[in-house]
Amino acid sequence: MGSILVIAEIQKGKVREASYELVSFARKIGAATNREVKSLVMGQGISAAAEELSKKGGGEVFAADDAALANYNLDAAFAAVKAAIAAASPDVVLVSNTPSGWDLAPRIAASLDAGFAPDCFNVDVEGGELVFLRRFFNGKLDSRLRPTSLPVVATMQPGATAAFDGAAEGKMTPLAVSIGSLGTKFVETKVASAKGVDLTKADVIVSGGRSLGGPEKFQEVIKPLADALGGAMGASRPVVDAGWLPHEYQVGSSGQVVSPKLYVACGISGAIQHLVGMKASNFIIAINKDADAPIFEVADLGVVGDLFEVVPKLTEAVKAAKG
Amino acid sequence: MKIMVCIKQVPHQDARLDVNGAGTWIQEENIKFEINPYDQNALEAALQLKDKEAGTEVVVVSIGPERVTQSLRTALGMGADRAVHVKDGAADGSDSLGTAKILAAVAKAESPDLIFAGFMSDDGNLAATGPMLATLLGIPHTTTAVSFQKNGAIQVERELEGGALEVVELNTPCLVTTQTGMNQVRYASLKGIMAAKKKPIDVKTVADLGLAGQVGADAAKIKIEKLYTPPKGQGAEILSGSVDEVVGKLVGKIKELGLL
Ligand SMILES: Cc1cc2nc3c(=O)[nH]c(=O)nc-3n(C[C@H](O)[C@H](O)[C@H](O)COP(=O)(O)OP(=O)(O)OC[C@H]3O[C@@H](n4cnc5c(N)ncnc54)[C@H](O)[C@@H]3O)c2cc1C
Repeated sequence: MGSILVIAEIQKGKVREASYELVSFARKIGAATNREVKSLVMGQGISAAAEELSKKGGGEVFAADDAALANYNLDAAFAAVKAAIAAASPDVVLVSNTPSGWDLAPRIAASLDAGFAPDCFNVDVEGGELVFLRRFFNGKLDSRLRPTSLPVVATMQPGATAAFDGAAEGKMTPLAVSIGSLGTKFVETKVASAKGVDLTKADVIVSGGRSLGGPEKFQEVIKPLADALGGAMGASRPVVDAGWLPHEYQVGSSGQVVSPKLYVACGISGAIQHLVGMKASNFIIAINKDADAPIFEVADLGVVGDLFEVVPKLTEAVKAAKG
Repeated sequence: MKIMVCIKQVPHQDARLDVNGAGTWIQEENIKFEINPYDQNALEAALQLKDKEAGTEVVVVSIGPERVTQSLRTALGMGADRAVHVKDGAADGSDSLGTAKILAAVAKAESPDLIFAGFMSDDGNLAATGPMLATLLGIPHTTTAVSFQKNGAIQVERELEGGALEVVELNTPCLVTTQTGMNQVRYASLKGIMAAKKKPIDVKTVADLGLAGQVGADAAKIKIEKLYTPPKGQGAEILSGSVDEVVGKLVGKIKELGLL
């Protein structure tokens, strides 16, 4: 029986939380199918992090320590993964659905001629067989994916399960990696440019989505409500992609993560990348014409209706209530 | 320089999504389709290079039924030079890897210097085809490009979490997957649409590509066993009544929250 291989990620010198979540999933599969959990940690000067993972559920932890792995690089990381696969003979490879996971995981699957189950929120074992659960159509439909053969490679959504935080003694094994010539080169990482608007400080955020249809609608429909509530405007990604509002207004995984006292989502479907940016808000009101929109799953109060009708009336009512 | 752009036709963003009878995909009859938004940015990136570098050829490739012809014509109307359409029921039900194998066979025949693909498709959201294609071709790749530069070397800014960016340099040939918002996608001009009518669409079958039996549903390493509407959790309390009543309730709640 092959193992379950966790591809861990290093962040600020430590194994990141999402990797311990992979450990939870790996141990769940391991317990149900009698497979051993093994892990890979790669980077430079990572032996302490690898040692820690080996004591916290990562099982046998292969530590690939190399200057070429100091920053994420596709070729170097893939070389380390290949060495770990040779050492661990996995039936299941688990990767986090993070920027390096997007880059690396499909390469692993294709190189193994394996099935690929990306961006899963859960994995079940039914009669010894794996079933991966993920959403299609930006969160509008759920699915069960069943591999027809092993190995299988899956990426799991960060936050989909609790990080493993028990103690389980494993061991650390240094892993020699021959990195060879690189087709890609890491140049630098950049942080987003300084922001004019800091949404994280707003008590109230009124956000609009793609359905607004144009920049003028933000001024005519969204801004008046935000102003009446003494709050700020926010937006989903397509709004920013289309250039209707600058990036600093974007809420979500590639924008800002906010938790105001009140978040009003107008015509926003509720894709996971938007939800991670606002679901911690104290109170959420969603206005959407589609009763099945995923945004209603995280909202406290919902209105199924046309935002162009509801929002202006709400603005007037708020103004009236203020006197 | 030759650039290959992989495009997928997907249900329009506003299309109604109903699960089909078999419960394995959506009901595709009578809905509108469009070029996957992420692929539109891929095509635009290729066309911008073509605008800059004389002698650049842009070849668009798509897999799918007859309806895909319309998307290929749109791409040609926007400025692509040629299209390859893999139109064969034997490709139906391919998993990401099967799709990548088909595209790899096309790429081997075309030997492009550069391949663009959307980061993910708006239907499956799998984000797998591009990197898998690069792997099968043995070329480097990068994902989620939000900018692309070619001054000798290829330099890409890729998107990380929380608005951070990573700058990556790639050797050619290589494959780059594009994120939405990377560029503003052009429309096909009337002149472009007229010119597109004369541009070639090369139709191929799976067997033409030497892949009979290697792709499609039977060869898939992973299958969609079931597609379904997500179970309703706790969810929001949905307000009922006329718009005025609903608005009244919202204002009541906002007051209760101490925000008025
Ligand atoms: C790597 C990555 C990062 C991403 N980062 C982010 C991010 O940071 N933030 C983000 O928001 N997205 C992000 N996305 C995009 C995300 O997946 C969705 O595509 C996006 O959030 C959808 O925006 P939307 O809800 O405005 O549009 P849609 O999903 O198109 O939804 C529009 C909604 O409007 C409703 N509607 C239409 N007309 C009306 C009307 N008149 N009245 C009321 N309702 C109406 C519809 O029912 C629908 O629910 C990211 C995607 C990827 C792949």
